[in-house]
Amino acid sequence: MSATAKKQKPLKRHPSKLKRMSAYMILAIILISIMAVLFAFPLYWIITGSFKTGAAINSTTPEWWPGEWVLTNYQKLFAGKSAPLWQLAVPFGSRFSADGEPIYFSVGPTVPAAIRWMVNTVFMAVVSMILTCATAAMAGYALAKKRFVGRKLLFTLIVCAMALPKQVILIPLLREMSSLNLYNTIWAVIFPIVGWPFGVFLMKQFSEGIPTEMLEAARIDGASEAKTFISIVLPMVKPGIGALAIFTFINSWNDYFMQLIMLSSTSNLTISLGIAKLQAENSTDFGLIMAGAALAAVPIIIIFLIFQKYFTKGIAMGAVKG
Amino acid sequence: MVIFLAAKTVKIEEPKRSSALVRQETIASYLFLLPSLIFFLGFVIYPMVLCVVTSFFDSTMNRADVFVGLANYKELFSDPVFIGALKNTFIIVIVSVPVTCAFSLWVSSAIVDLPEWATSLFRCVFYLPVVTGSVAVTVVWKWMYNNYYGIFNYLGKAVGLIDKNINWLGDEKYALGCIILILLTTSVGQPIVLYVSALGNVDQSIVEAAEVDGANDFQAFWKIKWPAIMPTTLYILVITTINSFQCFALIQLLTSGGPNHSTDTIMYYIYYTAFKLYRYGYGNAMGVVLAVIIAILSAVQFKLGNQDN
Amino acid sequence: MKKSISRRSFLKAVGALSAAGALAACGGSSTSTAASTASSAAPAASAEASGSAAANIKLWTYPIGGWGKDETVQEIIASFNAKYPDIKVTVEYLDYTNGDDQVNTAIEGGSAPDLIMEGPERLVANWGAKGVMAPLNDLWTDDAKKDIYESVESACKNDAGDYYEYPLCMTAHCMAVNMTKVKEVGADKYINTDTHTWSTDDFLATVDALYKGGYENVAAIYCSGQGGDQGTRAIINNMYGGTFTDAAHTKYTADSAENIKAIQTLHDADGINFDASINGGEEITLFRNGTLQMAFCWNIAQQLNTDNNDAGLTNSGDEIFPMAFPTASGDPKLCGGIWGFGIFNNGDDAKIEAAKTFIDFIAADPDQVGASVLASTYFPVRASVGDIYAGNEIMSEYSKFMNYLGDYYQITPGWATARTEWWNMLQRVGTGEDVTTAVKTFCDNANAAAAAEA
Repeated sequence: MSATAKKQKPLKRHPSKLKRMSAYMILAIILISIMAVLFAFPLYWIITGSFKTGAAINSTTPEWWPGEWVLTNYQKLFAGKSAPLWQLAVPFGSRFSADGEPIYFSVGPTVPAAIRWMVNTVFMAVVSMILTCATAAMAGYALAKKRFVGRKLLFTLIVCAMALPKQVILIPLLREMSSLNLYNTIWAVIFPIVGWPFGVFLMKQFSEGIPTEMLEAARIDGASEAKTFISIVLPMVKPGIGALAIFTFINSWNDYFMQLIMLSSTSNLTISLGIAKLQAENSTDFGLIMAGAALAAVPIIIIFLIFQKYFTKGIAMGAVKG
Repeated sequence: MVIFLAAKTVKIEEPKRSSALVRQETIASYLFLLPSLIFFLGFVIYPMVLCVVTSFFDSTMNRADVFVGLANYKELFSDPVFIGALKNTFIIVIVSVPVTCAFSLWVSSAIVDLPEWATSLFRCVFYLPVVTGSVAVTVVWKWMYNNYYGIFNYLGKAVGLIDKNINWLGDEKYALGCIILILLTTSVGQPIVLYVSALGNVDQSIVEAAEVDGANDFQAFWKIKWPAIMPTTLYILVITTINSFQCFALIQLLTSGGPNHSTDTIMYYIYYTAFKLYRYGYGNAMGVVLAVIIAILSAVQFKLGNQDN
Repeated sequence: MKKSISRRSFLKAVGALSAAGALAACGGSSTSTAASTASSAAPAASAEASGSAAANIKLWTYPIGGWGKDETVQEIIASFNAKYPDIKVTVEYLDYTNGDDQVNTAIEGGSAPDLIMEGPERLVANWGAKGVMAPLNDLWTDDAKKDIYESVESACKNDAGDYYEYPLCMTAHCMAVNMTKVKEVGADKYINTDTHTWSTDDFLATVDALYKGGYENVAAIYCSGQGGDQGTRAIINNMYGGTFTDAAHTKYTADSAENIKAIQTLHDADGINFDASINGGEEITLFRNGTLQMAFCWNIAQQLNTDNNDAGLTNSGDEIFPMAFPTASGDPKLCGGIWGFGIFNNGDDAKIEAAKTFIDFIAADPDQVGASVLASTYFPVRASVGDIYAGNEIMSEYSKFMNYLGDYYQITPGWATARTEWWNMLQRVGTGEDVTTAVKTFCDNANAAAAAEA
């Protein structure tokens, strides 16, 4: 696909095309530019706002550009709550500890809570991404290329569950996490993301494209199922995995609902939840909220800008097959 | 629409095979499926089953559930707030899905022919709200909509569009529209990336051949590009529908369903019923109804998709 | 397959080991539990009760004055640990926007905190009534009952006589005006600056003077929900002498003619907006930044706030003057806030005992309770604490409001529902629904919830 795209590129920039930049096109670009300003504005306002003085940010006429740049908002943010940088717990430790608290075998140095929230969020997004891609790639392949009892039922189930909002199962899920001792741990957010069947569906679509003859040939050569999967299937669905990885990463990053329900203690919050809490606790201190929001937004935007090519390519890949 | 895509791939020629081979393949298949199934069954299907069961009970905090049969369901359909929430949910989906698709297609087709750097810049800007995250974005939108010193009222009055402050989020007439507007800004990013890429991949020689034959821009688009980007469109429809159904953070952070339940969606109302009113059974019944509606929509499309083949 | 089996047996082994450890710990704790029960039965002797059981307890606190600030709370915990080094207290801070939901999800998630700090409306009327709290009857010794004001005591127990709250501090919720602006429009003649009272007509005249003086937004009946409901209730109830519940706290009476008249008057007044886009906290923000000229969600902690300017000043330096809610009769009935501690029953007696030790120290130890109250910036609930604010001009002035305290009715059954329905009612009035209909719907729904819980 990408090979053909490259071949087409020179054609796309054909001079005759540019010459016919019609009045409509110029108008459209102007309109889109205005829209673009509106889209970029929230981010602009967060970043500049986080450097404004209290008076400037509370003023009833907007101050479009900070008259005075200050760091007080960030100082306040970092001087606020604190938490250990990491806490690694023994699995199911809380079941066995004397007081029902998790048993930590490694606890990091104390840092401002906002930093810990960042660590939590990245951990959650990366682990969800890895687990989703791994499980979905295997399941998608089986669904696409194998005949087995219950395949149709399973596929129907997956398709039906795909559009289902998580709020529907909120109460049972909460009780389930509680009985698994997972409530108020990051796993309570990760597992439902991994369980959400969109990934399986997407990987099935990608796996459809694997020529059946190749699989047959491998079977005749005596390759085991595992070997076939690793050496033939995986390389062929790689673009799909890339697409799914990016999709899952962004989605889990923004999955505010599950975080809101499942996480409660300061050291377990994600950055989105932390900002929401900051906003509820300090509705008078807009500068502090902006500093928090900037801290939440800027790192992922930097990641996005660095990996922009892969992001856009990955997302686009998902669609070609989807 | 989900099923549309699915249906196309369902038919596969089925060679006759021995039952031993079938059994062996079934075992192998389930081994491949196992990790995924653990999560899917454990954290989606199992809670869903519990949800259905609890919906027949009067369930609340710290008290044994009382079986009430269909009472929760009966109450649902005479609960004006639920009906309103159902309506709002569908308004959000019905407005935001086509608008997102149309808007992103329009933007993409305009920016795809620009120089590389400009395309990339626009694509990036429209993607910003997605990566910024809905909570951070909401902080600013809340300020923009503010009744007393928000930017919309400030600019509106400066330009003369409005002569009195409008309480955007506090007025039933505007609140839902305001929510949908934010939802749109956070959901067009991905479709634009997709469309720019899909349009860039349309075979330009065919388009030019058509233009030589006298087709105008619109015809060239409709006859050649539109069919070529159809799979992309379907994918966008799927993800936008899913995203619109899941819209929760905006409502919880901006209006809490108000004023007067005018921005309640089923998703928010379930949360509200559970944690403000402590009526778990009733909330679950709502969830079941929504799930059934989504399943019926899917089933209808499944049938339509099958007829196509 | 093999791997998972060996892992499971490993976990089993760990489980057996730590279960043994847990048993040992339990055995150890039950003996010292007896000791600490003895000590709490005799608070005077608690000074030397440092041999308490080792335990980790979680305290969740709403932003109750300084009890919402980490520095302040850590200081208090440090003095607790000086005496009880074996009880480790970890603190989480809740807010009034999401706090209730957070506690409710934690209860359902099986990890409610051990200790919670809030008022009887949540501890007694909500979680207490739901049976998730541990009764504190043994903390309420005869001495304590004698020392703590009776109105406070009655708010802390349910009809069956079980105490679910041990109170620490209290205040009266009032309103505030921007005095600089009031003087500017010449409306200060309506305000009695000595008693901090005014009549309903004077209040309306002040609103009108401000509105005509060019202040388009004088005050807001904020109703987006969550927190600050006492302000809107108090203004409505006080104006013409209405009540929120009956005297016995069994049903809601907000549909009385007095209340309907008050809501209608507020709705019709120029300059007062029924604003469904803001909540109590945001109303305060708007008042501080000069957008609104009056605030209904006020109390001494707000008066002392120095986030944006010196205490008692708006962001731009205008003078903030606290006022009682206006009445026709001249006899304001302010809503009281009572705050103290409750214990969630998580099924672990050692933790409940440790939590009781904590409460006993913070809210009953004569050497500590003064400091605990000072931290809250509110007023003590027990006579023995005395005048901790002697010489503090602002606090002495504010203590005048304590004389206007009305009935503490926030423990009426169905309170959580009533609070939610109250916001909905105000929102409906704001969007133009007939006041009588809206208030009637409120009362029907709230009373249904009260009947279901009673």
